Amino acid sequence: MKSKERVGIKGYGAYIPFQRLPSTEVARVWKGGGSGPNLEKAVASIDEDTVTMAIEASQYAMKMAGIEELGAIFVGTESKPYAVKPTSTIVAQALGQHYTLAADLEFACKAATEAVQVLTGLVGSGMIQNGLAIGVDTAQGRPGDELEYTAASGSAAFVISKFDKDAIASIDCSASYVSDTGDFWRRAQERYPRHLSRFTGEPAYFYHVEKSVRNLFQETGLKPSDFTYAVFHQPNPRFPVEVAARLGFTAGQIKTGLLNPLIGNTYAASSPIGLAAVLDEAKPGNKILLASFGSGAGSDAFSFTVQDAIEKSRGVSPTVKSMIAKGTKIDYSTYTKFRGKLTK
Amino acid sequence: MAIQFWRIRDRYYRLMGNRCDDCGARNLADKDMPRTGKILTHTQLHEPLPGFESEVPLNLAVIELQNGARVLAQIVDTPQEKIETGAKARAVIRRVRVDGDSGQILYGYKFVVE
Repeated sequence: MKSKERVGIKGYGAYIPFQRLPSTEVARVWKGGGSGPNLEKAVASIDEDTVTMAIEASQYAMKMAGIEELGAIFVGTESKPYAVKPTSTIVAQALGQHYTLAADLEFACKAATEAVQVLTGLVGSGMIQNGLAIGVDTAQGRPGDELEYTAASGSAAFVISKFDKDAIASIDCSASYVSDTGDFWRRAQERYPRHLSRFTGEPAYFYHVEKSVRNLFQETGLKPSDFTYAVFHQPNPRFPVEVAARLGFTAGQIKTGLLNPLIGNTYAASSPIGLAAVLDEAKPGNKILLASFGSGAGSDAFSFTVQDAIEKSRGVSPTVKSMIAKGTKIDYSTYTKFRGKLTK
Repeated sequence: MAIQFWRIRDRYYRLMGNRCDDCGARNLADKDMPRTGKILTHTQLHEPLPGFESEVPLNLAVIELQNGARVLAQIVDTPQEKIETGAKARAVIRRVRVDGDSGQILYGYKFVVE
């Protein structure tokens, strides 16, 4: 999919909460020892949720973009604080935006990339000048479930605007693939999701990501070696490495955006935070491939080209690397209190 | 509670106040306050108000913003040894009150030490 008029990213911001739960802590409590597939995961504080983390990342993105007005705000998440009451209107209020379209989008872990696609259409058709796409989650994992090693918290936000000299990256093309695949789900009013273990791999993650990326290659004529960086959704450390290899990408191309070992799976924010980490160090002219995955299931693949204005964005917002470095370790009992699994 | 809060939500969400940068007078119109400042004084609560029991010990500080305005706010995500007079602090947005499992969630500013 390509917009009629060129569209770009004018600003971005990420937010990674302060607390880290080592996977050895989950293993200690539920397995008697050992560790999970990742080293640590980012855990939201007791007073943080999807709203607060969305606002933090959005403030950074707006500051970098240097714009005053948004025509649309989309929050992509599966962990809304309210079942009925939009997250996006609270974000809009905090940003001082009122004459704007605001909506919450849900598609498991790929709700943010579909927000980018919708905004590309709205901006590319001239309906709005600027829009904000946010990916954010406080991911849930049932105590003792494999998900608990990686289900993490974080957010990333992107200001999508008409392409001009201030764009830090152009959105060149996107391609999607969806099917009805029940690999992971959470029924209404259920607290924790369920999943089909190994079924989440081959017929779900790998099948859909490969389809969307190969579709993007076909539509653009690009090949893996044309990209300096590639970022894949990262439910665990292994899946993105394997899908990258299957598609012909090298370990060097995915290294910068592969954050699961350090912060876990931030669901709708997972590949977007990876993209933010890549933009933190990318140079003008670099091409970036981004491929999300959402259970249920689908994948959106993008091609971005970094622009000269990226250099002006340096230092405006904290880098992903700096936010990861600031983390402090907590134990399992503190984690259960912070995530509301243990209440007074 | 929710309606009272609704009237002044911009003050909490955006750290808006009505102090004049030039003369210190309090104007009627709210405007955005600087989001950074320094701790003037601080204390720690072990018997907090109802609704804050899960956040004990609760760190509170008076923070002087860059324009001289002062705010009383909670300090979060900061190691205890870094909470000291003169420390640089930055505003963040957090849950301030949660009305049980079915009521509304009120958001507002708190501070972290840089």
